[in-house]
Amino acid sequence: MFGGIPISERILEAYIGEYASGKSEVAVNRAISLQRKGREVTIADLDLVEPFYTLRPIKKMLEQMGIRVVAWETGETLGLGETGSIMKPEMRWVLKRPGDVILDIGYGVEGAKVLNLIEGAAEEKQLKVFVVINVGRPLTATINDIVEYVRDLAPVHGLINNSHLGDDTTLEFIQEGAGVVTEAAKTLGLPVTATYMERRFEAALGGKFDNMGNYVQFLDRYMANTFW
Amino acid sequence: MAEKPIQGEKRVFMTGNEVVAWAALAAKADIMYGYPITPQNEIMHYWTRMAPKYGKRFLQTEDELSAGFTTLGGVLAGRKAFTATAGPGNTLMQEPMSMAEMMRIPSVVVIQQRGGPSTATVIYSQQEVTMTTYGGNGEGFRIVYSTANHQELFDYTIKAFNTAWKYRFPTFVLGDGYQAKMRESLIIYDPEEKGVELVQTEPTLGREAVNGEKKPVHIRNTYNTEEELYEVVTRYMEEYMKYAPEIVEYREFDCEDADIVIVSHGVVSRAAKGAVQELRKEGLKVGYFRPVTLRPFPADQLKAVADNTMTLLLVESSLGQMAKLVKDAIFGSTVALATLFKPGVGITSEEIVAKVKGMF
Repeated sequence: MFGGIPISERILEAYIGEYASGKSEVAVNRAISLQRKGREVTIADLDLVEPFYTLRPIKKMLEQMGIRVVAWETGETLGLGETGSIMKPEMRWVLKRPGDVILDIGYGVEGAKVLNLIEGAAEEKQLKVFVVINVGRPLTATINDIVEYVRDLAPVHGLINNSHLGDDTTLEFIQEGAGVVTEAAKTLGLPVTATYMERRFEAALGGKFDNMGNYVQFLDRYMANTFW
Repeated sequence: MAEKPIQGEKRVFMTGNEVVAWAALAAKADIMYGYPITPQNEIMHYWTRMAPKYGKRFLQTEDELSAGFTTLGGVLAGRKAFTATAGPGNTLMQEPMSMAEMMRIPSVVVIQQRGGPSTATVIYSQQEVTMTTYGGNGEGFRIVYSTANHQELFDYTIKAFNTAWKYRFPTFVLGDGYQAKMRESLIIYDPEEKGVELVQTEPTLGREAVNGEKKPVHIRNTYNTEEELYEVVTRYMEEYMKYAPEIVEYREFDCEDADIVIVSHGVVSRAAKGAVQELRKEGLKVGYFRPVTLRPFPADQLKAVADNTMTLLLVESSLGQMAKLVKDAIFGSTVALATLFKPGVGITSEEIVAKVKGMF
């Protein structure tokens, strides 16, 4: 047993994607849903690429929910955005913590390299890396673009369709994204772990699956409040 | 080589910096020169990610002085060239851009304003208005578009190339750190499919010989006597004044019967718009005026508004840099002036509403 959860049943997940793909939003929602199931959860902000729209501004809120947050506080940082973000020592050892661990990783190939700095990331067989895809982003809008993008990121265990246009999102757009992401996943030989969509689409969707048969997770938006 | 970067039009979701990179591609820019500085970095990141696919080039220089001068070199060689910077980088960029004014080199610079003075904050301000409109020695013969949202960042970045090459004055797209980093949906498009003609560039130096004859070209930023310079600057001034009316852009609404008109530019004008709409719902006579071009400034248009209202409320994230342009424009008007200045800090529509209510 490790923090009340048998080691073999710990959930270790890393979320990665482009700017505005919604990787942090998905990671935060995942952490909250695990915590609500009574699990012990740590979420770590491993976005060392750009220090905005990160967990920092909602750290206290998440902690009040009972989630452990490994992230800088804005006041602790120095030369924010100018000198790069340095790793907190706790970040290096975060996979050694008890309970579930959710990693919110910086964008793109360079962002993914942060995993090389995390103790145990290479050996830990339970660690799953998910790529969050928003087809509203032109560099990951087509099947070919997604395939190329994900191949550069390996190893990856699944894709998440999080297609959206911010406040202008429609269910139709999400479903369109589901089609593209599912085709890309087939080419890559990877599963589509889930389609994420805002809770406001729950009634219109009328079920638990998108039009490609992928399981749907509803999310609440927290990241809109996290600028810097 | 990949096909055209944008086919038809497409609704997308991205950061403002990415928007600029896509707009430069859509405008068929050939090369970007640059030096990294927050908050404009992702313009370079995305340009360099996409450039190889479309046969475009990028040069990272050792600082912004070089980035500015190499941009001018690219333009003189006939390339559709641009650069992007912010804050202290904009300060360094003033020397090359004043040379562009003197030599009439159609350069395009995207500025994402950050807090000042000096390195200050990387985040946001509207404190680069004076520098971008009138920086450098000389008379500020430049064109400055102040954008308010991602759609405008896209539209005006494309337009900036046409404007620069048409009038041959250095042209700036003035954004800010908020616009640079925030995410918003917009429609990207191929301008030519929309009937927007993209300017054809041509080399100033190193042209091919015509009929075996190669005419010498001499462009100057150095003159021997005061009179010689005076003649050139006077000619430039006359041209600038002549073109200004066709370059000037502004937005206004609800000004006709307004007791107070809120004047703001850039991202702050979004808050002003929200405030005016809310105040009107409550029956308060409030209007909205937004200069899109800060240089040349829509002076006649604002003067007309000033002469027809009681108070102009000037709102900006600096200590009155836009206000200086306004005062110059409305000289002679007896309109009262009120201000809401928050240097380096964002301004919300709630703050503007509260300010206006306190004035009635």
